[in-house]
Amino acid sequence: MSPDAILRIDALTKLFFGFRALDSLSLHVARGEILGLVGPNGSGKTTCINVVSGLYAPEAGSVVFDGEEVAGLSTHKLVHRGINRTFQVPKPFMHLTARENVDVAIAYGRNPQGEVDAGALLASLNLDALASRPAAELNSAQQKMLDLARALATGPKLLLVDELAAGLNPAELDWVAAKLKDFARAGMSIIVVEHLMGFIEQVTDRVVVMNAGHEIFGGTLAEAVQDGKVVEVFLGGGHAG
Amino acid sequence: MAPVTAAFAILPSVYSNHLLLFNFVVFLTLAQGVNVIYGFTGYLPFGYVGFFGAGAYGFSLLVMHLHAPPVLALGAAGVSAVALGLLLTPLLRLSGAYFSIANLAASLAVLHFISNPNLEPITRGPYGVSLSGVFNPDLAYSIAVAVMAFALIVVVYLRNSRFGLALQAVREDAVSAASAGVDVVRVRVYAWLISSVIAGFAGGVYAWYVSVFYPETVFGSDYSIFAIVFALFGGVSTIIGPIVGVVLLYGVYNFIGFSTPQYFQLIYGALIILLVLFLPQGLISFVKRRGVDVP
Amino acid sequence: MLIYSLLSGVLFGLYFSLIGLGLNLVFGVMRIVNLAHGDFLMLGAYCAFWMYTLFGVDPVYAIPVAFVLFALIGLPLYYALVPRLLAARDPEMLSIILFFGLSQVIEALSTIAFGTSEQSIPGSELGRSLRAFVGWLAGHDIESGPIEVFGQSFPSAWVMSAIASLVAVAFVYFYLYRTRTGYLTRAVMSRRDEALATGIDVHRISAIAFGIGIALASIGGVFAPFMLGSITPAMGVDATVTSFAVIVVGSLGSPLGTVLGGLVYGVSYMLVQTYLSSWANLLPYLLLIGILLVRPSGLLGKRVRLA
Repeated sequence: MSPDAILRIDALTKLFFGFRALDSLSLHVARGEILGLVGPNGSGKTTCINVVSGLYAPEAGSVVFDGEEVAGLSTHKLVHRGINRTFQVPKPFMHLTARENVDVAIAYGRNPQGEVDAGALLASLNLDALASRPAAELNSAQQKMLDLARALATGPKLLLVDELAAGLNPAELDWVAAKLKDFARAGMSIIVVEHLMGFIEQVTDRVVVMNAGHEIFGGTLAEAVQDGKVVEVFLGGGHAG
Repeated sequence: MAPVTAAFAILPSVYSNHLLLFNFVVFLTLAQGVNVIYGFTGYLPFGYVGFFGAGAYGFSLLVMHLHAPPVLALGAAGVSAVALGLLLTPLLRLSGAYFSIANLAASLAVLHFISNPNLEPITRGPYGVSLSGVFNPDLAYSIAVAVMAFALIVVVYLRNSRFGLALQAVREDAVSAASAGVDVVRVRVYAWLISSVIAGFAGGVYAWYVSVFYPETVFGSDYSIFAIVFALFGGVSTIIGPIVGVVLLYGVYNFIGFSTPQYFQLIYGALIILLVLFLPQGLISFVKRRGVDVP
Repeated sequence: MLIYSLLSGVLFGLYFSLIGLGLNLVFGVMRIVNLAHGDFLMLGAYCAFWMYTLFGVDPVYAIPVAFVLFALIGLPLYYALVPRLLAARDPEMLSIILFFGLSQVIEALSTIAFGTSEQSIPGSELGRSLRAFVGWLAGHDIESGPIEVFGQSFPSAWVMSAIASLVAVAFVYFYLYRTRTGYLTRAVMSRRDEALATGIDVHRISAIAFGIGIALASIGGVFAPFMLGSITPAMGVDATVTSFAVIVVGSLGSPLGTVLGGLVYGVSYMLVQTYLSSWANLLPYLLLIGILLVRPSGLLGKRVRLA
């Protein structure tokens, strides 16, 4: 394992009314690395992101971020330390304008590089024309980009991306993939949860395959498809996508 | 904001019904207080009058027992309301209707507590408070206008500040607001305490102005509900909405209200129903729909 | 003394369950707050009062009359108010204001129609015809005196209202768990969006629940002159707050939870009344807040109510 990991998860366990959504999960992310998190539905990928981003407190295990234990800290504190995310179902502030959505994060996100320019940030995600429209009027893909803009405004060192690609057309997919790679090249670490294997192939350096709340494989996607346990989980579970 | 304050500062010299003007000022203040907590955070404070009553009694206790000068006692009004607000912060954990009902229950609990005959030596219990020693309606009116100006300044600040934006973000989606770095619990509590201090000052200055009142007067649910309906009728999370609501609806109330209260109640109830069904965002939404930005 | 206050607490508790039952049903199915609930109770009370005053009818017969009458009023009222409300941005909050408006309208119309003076029905009138019937069977007159329960005697109205409450709970239970409409009602209660998606006529189900809800309130009203004291058009507000305390203490959606809530409420009310009477009127409010904060899902509930 890389000694220079920005995030190190060890034996993380999250219970929901007795159901082990995360069952002693361990993984790490290196600085500037894009890690793909894949696995069948219900394997715990989104739960992992929810715990790391502070939405849920874990029952056991540790989450070490940038050398410090952060498990159980509340979301806004993690944001200030440099962890941010997007949501599977986008959650912008519906009755605020796109610009106001970003303004909140600029004002409260404590970006270590100083406050970013809202206009430039929106423009970089092709939202500049919609800046003064309420978020509710944006389509789903645009709302996902707005979620991303809000996360970027806080200057994250670790970005958790939950199914950003779903619903995008091929041209948009390529564009988003290039964006994520640019962020990583600039030093940001990224965890990508995604069902589209093509997208995973395109952006990730390495994948962790999860099943039943636990990691069963770590390595490149090409190696993963050769792995017996991985093949069994995907074919046996019936969720190849 | 300035025109409203100026108007109510000048009106007493040209219009003789000072009590009516005073009541307008009180409702303008309370409607803006409701605006702070409901318009900007989405919590509907059905027991908002609890802060008004706490302010009235905070003021009265200092005057009755310590013979404090009224302006100092007004400070106590604000402090009592904030203390009650702090005591009730756990209610902010509740969502939706649960918050409203618990808040209503809390205001009624405070009413029954203060009016308990066992507390007569302290609060005068159910027999009411008399503060004839400090009676000075002209000065009290001026201070009431100042309190209203304070409430307006708060709302102007919320409309134009990052803090106000953060509150609206929390109202829209608390999880996303936390993802934007907002300490959700803290900003909610701040808004709650700000709206409580507004009502507390209003209650204190009300006690000073009328100087004789009963617990039911200053804890009457009508205050909460009038303030909410006025604010909503005009349109919350704007500055002008609650002002329009108070001037129109409370104007109607005074026009038909006193002689035949049940007919007013009927019209008022029907207006509320129509408002919720056809204009849930308030009168202001008429103008907003035409693309005009309303302050 | 202790036994007496416990038993009277149980009798009153069952009556409080009856009061809360309809409110619980409406909130459970529609997620809206019927702040006019107590006003339908008040109308039920006047229904019994006028039937007695004009025609000398035993209030017991007002029960089916009120039930049918208010169930029929409830259906069009639902379609007039609720579908539009549910389409708004924040229906749960707006419902509080909307039904407050309705409550004002009902109270105003009742004041115009009935005046503000306090009305009552003599306690001996409740069940008069039943007593006559039993007396005819037994061959001698039955006195309208108190009824003995476990060696303690209580006004017969308390016992009769407790029995009526049990019947009403059984009715709601049967409706929800033994009829097809009731089964669909429970589906709407647990997942309204999914019920819509599966093609259930959610509005029809909700309208029926709304009708039953206010009909139950009106039955509670029939007993109000004997349980809550004299009746006035303004009595609805207190009844609404009491109903809320009861259903919050119990839990949402479950008729058994409402019974438990009513019993807890009734017994603690009577105990405080007996031993700490001057603070008794604080109890409903403190109980309500306390339960909400300590156990937000109610004593039997699983749902989360936290922000």
